[in-house]
Amino acid sequence: MLVTVMAIVVAACTGGSVEDDGQTTTTVATTQATVTTTAAPATTAADLEPIKLGSVNSLTGQIVFPEASAAAKAVFDRVNREGGIDGRPIEYLIEDDAADPAGAAQAARRLVEDEGVVAMVGSASLLECAVNGAYYAEQGVYSIQGTGVDPLCFASSNISPVNTGPYLGYTVSLYFASEVLAKENVCALIFDIPDFRPAMDAAIQQWRDLTGKDLAFSNFTLQFTDDVTPFVLQARDAGCEVVVSNGLDVHYIGFMQALQAQGIDDMAWVGLTSGYTAEVAETLGSMGAGSGILHVNSEFEPFTLDSPVLEDWRNLMTEAGVPLTSFAEGGYLAATIMVDVLEGIDGPITRESVSEALLALEGYEHPMIGSPYSFGDAPAHNPNRASKFLRLSGGTWELATDDWVVLPTG
Amino acid sequence: MIDTAIASLTSGGAYALLGVGLVLTYRMTGVLNFAHAVVGAFGTYTAIVAFEAGVGYGVAMILGVAVAALLSGGIGVVMARWFAEEATIVRSTVTIAMFLGVLVVGFRLFGDTPRVVPALLPGVRLEVGTVTLTGSTLLSVGGVIVLAGAVAWFLAKTRTGIVLRAVSERPITARLLGVPLRTLVVAVWAVSGAVAGAAVTIIAPTRTNDYASLAILILPALAAALLGGFQRVGATIVAGFGIALVELMGARIPAVARYRTVVPFLVILAALLWMQRKEVWDEAR
Repeated sequence: MLVTVMAIVVAACTGGSVEDDGQTTTTVATTQATVTTTAAPATTAADLEPIKLGSVNSLTGQIVFPEASAAAKAVFDRVNREGGIDGRPIEYLIEDDAADPAGAAQAARRLVEDEGVVAMVGSASLLECAVNGAYYAEQGVYSIQGTGVDPLCFASSNISPVNTGPYLGYTVSLYFASEVLAKENVCALIFDIPDFRPAMDAAIQQWRDLTGKDLAFSNFTLQFTDDVTPFVLQARDAGCEVVVSNGLDVHYIGFMQALQAQGIDDMAWVGLTSGYTAEVAETLGSMGAGSGILHVNSEFEPFTLDSPVLEDWRNLMTEAGVPLTSFAEGGYLAATIMVDVLEGIDGPITRESVSEALLALEGYEHPMIGSPYSFGDAPAHNPNRASKFLRLSGGTWELATDDWVVLPTG
Repeated sequence: MIDTAIASLTSGGAYALLGVGLVLTYRMTGVLNFAHAVVGAFGTYTAIVAFEAGVGYGVAMILGVAVAALLSGGIGVVMARWFAEEATIVRSTVTIAMFLGVLVVGFRLFGDTPRVVPALLPGVRLEVGTVTLTGSTLLSVGGVIVLAGAVAWFLAKTRTGIVLRAVSERPITARLLGVPLRTLVVAVWAVSGAVAGAAVTIIAPTRTNDYASLAILILPALAAALLGGFQRVGATIVAGFGIALVELMGARIPAVARYRTVVPFLVILAALLWMQRKEVWDEAR
């Protein structure tokens, strides 16, 4: 009964915000029209038919990913300010799936069939790939995913994420623990998300195949709201020198708190990109926990460091009011790749010509990623195989690896 | 192994505290209070929000407990005003509505993203051999001992305690005898709310929290109170610690680890079956 009532309440709330969004969109459209009229004397981007691009995102619900599409929008807005693609403006359509399969399916159909988008770009959703991968294949639509989360983002012919994702990211993290930190007893603590389990198993197997090593201890049964203390103690009792775990940002704080409370300071910890946030560093810094112990991977050039590579990204995001996070890097990168692809097309920009260009896209180098981005016609894509690792030092992140840790292929 | 048992003490203490709160409201006001844990979670989240807004940690925690007490007292006013003479089952059902109400309002106010709660007494650690007792563990276990002692003393030795028991068993008779029923009932609700706020605040830093999962702490608390027959404070406390221990030990056994969160339900089921064991079919029906 509780679930039903909550569902009704949540549905009611979601309904409300969708209406609000509708109003906002109308206002924006009006403003744009006004601007177009004023700027009419010159031949502007808005004179020609816009190039429609779409994205499906989890913007409301339990776990949200708003930054990727916001960052992509900032990139496209700038392109439009500078005259568009050969005079055609980009119309970027952001849909919310509310982390609901039906919502994701409807959003994709609206974009692909009603709006006729030429491609998807910068999407970041909890389940979009699983729901829409087959549909995109059927419709001949391709997606440069801003943040791939569910396993099918990395197992679809029509989706190629710019991020490493939680599975290959886990393989890279294990590789970093065993090869770069050079620890003997590598252990795994993994939150139990049933649909993700086969992909996690495959990720660990890939590390075994690459290194010929095996886990000293593993526990796959953590729940998101567990007290993690007993698991930390289990790892200590098993003689773990380094623990590689997944989880949300708050979980890394939980792990470090537990280590601190138990007085364990000789066990290293490696987490995924989800733990790489400024808040995690600040919070742990204020608690005096995790310093020198916690490592996290950054699938892009680390955003907390003052890297010259990120100057344009940082300026654009700050200007557009988008929070500076890994997700915003993913959205920016996906949009930047898309702009380059669109600009490289000779002749009319249609769904067919964009798809053809993406299928031919191989070895796209960008300083924000350590391995080239590609799309191509492979049955599955996971081109980002490189991470930089950061170590917590006091309340800040410092580089643990100057160079990219690139996962060997094969 | 002993470490795991020790680690379970914090959760166990919190389950016991919440369970004792349930027994308390049941014995004194004749209501099975389903809103008990959600009121505590509301208080804890108020404390977290205040802390994030820059209020000192200690002050924020006291504020949270006070809000839980006020909220619970408010529910008590509703109970005393409109449902004082209803049957136990009606009053308990009202608390289910209260549970949903507070849950939904809390969702709107606090959102559903997990929050980080700084440890209580972070510097406090007691080393016993190879085992470390943290500040949270000491608070949790200490809180249970103090509360259990206070409740036992209050109900058995004070006039107000005896009056409250009378109110619970014969509300109309008590009122005819001139007992200020409404004030007393509201006071009991407020105290139980404060205890819930404290219990949830103690358990909060030890796990990753979202508002709903804290509200659902009502389940182990109910299981513990049920094992105490909603009467015996001591048995409830033992049951609270036992449930937490079984939950955490379950994490060590791969075959059952994934299912350990259903422990409270199994306990409730087993307890109900055990209590019904002497019922003859015709009578039980």
